[in-house]
Amino acid sequence: MKYRLFGALFILFFLAWRTLDGLVEGDWGRLEGGLSNLGVFFSESMWPPNWSVLEARSYPVCEQDIEFFCSVGYLGMMETLKIAFVSTVLGFVGAITLSSLAARNLMPLSIALPVRIFLSAVRSLPSLIWAILFVIVIGFGPLSGVLAMTFYTIGYLGKLQYEVFEGMANDPLEAGRAMGLSRPSILLNIVIPENSNHLLSQLMFMFEYNVRHGTVIGIVGAGGIGYYISTYLKFLQYDKVFALLIIIFVVVVVIDLLSLMIRSFVNEEGDVRKPTWLNTIIAAKKKQA
Amino acid sequence: MSEGVVLSLNDLVIGYDEPLSEPISLEVKPGEIIAILGPSGIGKTTLIRTIAGLVRPLEGDFDLHVKRRGGLGYIPQRLGLVRHATVAHNVSLGARMNVPWSRTMFQERNERTQEAIRTLGIEEKAGEPVRRLSGGQQRRVATARTLAQRPELMLADEFLGELDQHNVDLVLGAVHELVGKGTAVIMVEHHEDNAKDFATRIWEIKNKRFSDMSIEEWELHTSAGEEE
Repeated sequence: MKYRLFGALFILFFLAWRTLDGLVEGDWGRLEGGLSNLGVFFSESMWPPNWSVLEARSYPVCEQDIEFFCSVGYLGMMETLKIAFVSTVLGFVGAITLSSLAARNLMPLSIALPVRIFLSAVRSLPSLIWAILFVIVIGFGPLSGVLAMTFYTIGYLGKLQYEVFEGMANDPLEAGRAMGLSRPSILLNIVIPENSNHLLSQLMFMFEYNVRHGTVIGIVGAGGIGYYISTYLKFLQYDKVFALLIIIFVVVVVIDLLSLMIRSFVNEEGDVRKPTWLNTIIAAKKKQA
Repeated sequence: MSEGVVLSLNDLVIGYDEPLSEPISLEVKPGEIIAILGPSGIGKTTLIRTIAGLVRPLEGDFDLHVKRRGGLGYIPQRLGLVRHATVAHNVSLGARMNVPWSRTMFQERNERTQEAIRTLGIEEKAGEPVRRLSGGQQRRVATARTLAQRPELMLADEFLGELDQHNVDLVLGAVHELVGKGTAVIMVEHHEDNAKDFATRIWEIKNKRFSDMSIEEWELHTSAGEEE
């Protein structure tokens, strides 16, 4: 069994390598010196990170007691977090409505199929394209970002959710149906509580995803820290870009820890050991190990 | 339809692809307690699931003379509990049914829930998620859900399994309370003693043959079988 697995992995790796070779048309010379180029670029342009991004901007004048609250890093990150938060919440509500209509064990095929096609259509456009569309339609700013991320969240979470619903045990649904509970009641009182762990996990994953992608959509003018990254890139200020990337990394790690903490309230692990900050971090380290 | 009948089976043939029984025709009246006996895999669960509307009959049909919403209570073999929700939430699902719309509706639902939880002796676990409970406690939660529902017909699939004698008595006492209010009960049971002590009729499925007997007839039938 073990050898078969290794054999299958080897074949997959070989196929991937052959495909890559086809894609670069055998011109592997391009990679020569790539690593040293990267080292030179990193040491000369990006290192050390320029932490002036955490100091107050020169304009508009800072009216806060603490300079940090007027900094590019703080303001950009907060705007990205706000965009991600609003779009995740709106997207989650939209997705749960649509995914309950798309799940085959909750709805007949005649309803599930068109909803699935709709979700696929929404999902087929990446958040960046949604952002460009909304920037064209309603102009630059965070509202375009919120709408872009909301639509993408609906498409992406919708699929994850209906797959979770379809995978749930059938007996609670059967008991609910036999006793005469209505479809909305089955969704609210059986399906959602029974899948709360998965739904929370997906919600936190989507929030983290939206924070990371919030930086990308900012580049096309849809608000957030990405706007500043795009500006610094234009002016070749890579040390400031690197500082902003470190801020994003720290925020994503904190969200991941928050996600572990929140999920431990609904998963079986939480039954054995009440969740605390400490054992959340220890659990995270164990997983990495 | 005959007067005072909650369920009538009309030449009903159960099964998925192959028939598991000969055509069954009979009626169930309010207050009757029927135990379905037979070897494993013979079709007892399929019969219960067919009556619950979860499996289509291969032939014939059946008439449920109960309210469309809330008239039928069902405890599946795997209990059908929402494992990540609390005991109180699960029991309240039953209490949602058969409570007419009124200003005191929510209060009445709550009272029914609390009463069912008290009757089954799981007050201390009311706020805990079902997944933390033992198998026996989960069975009491499933029974409490049906108790709070107050259905006209209760279907239960091996709901006494994993219970010690004290809890079997507790659960059967609670079901007797329902029966006293006119609920008919059809239950799949493996323990013949429980069936004999509790049921008023026995349905036996053996070699695709279906027999409907009173307790006395079944005892005679069993003792005759043993003598042979």
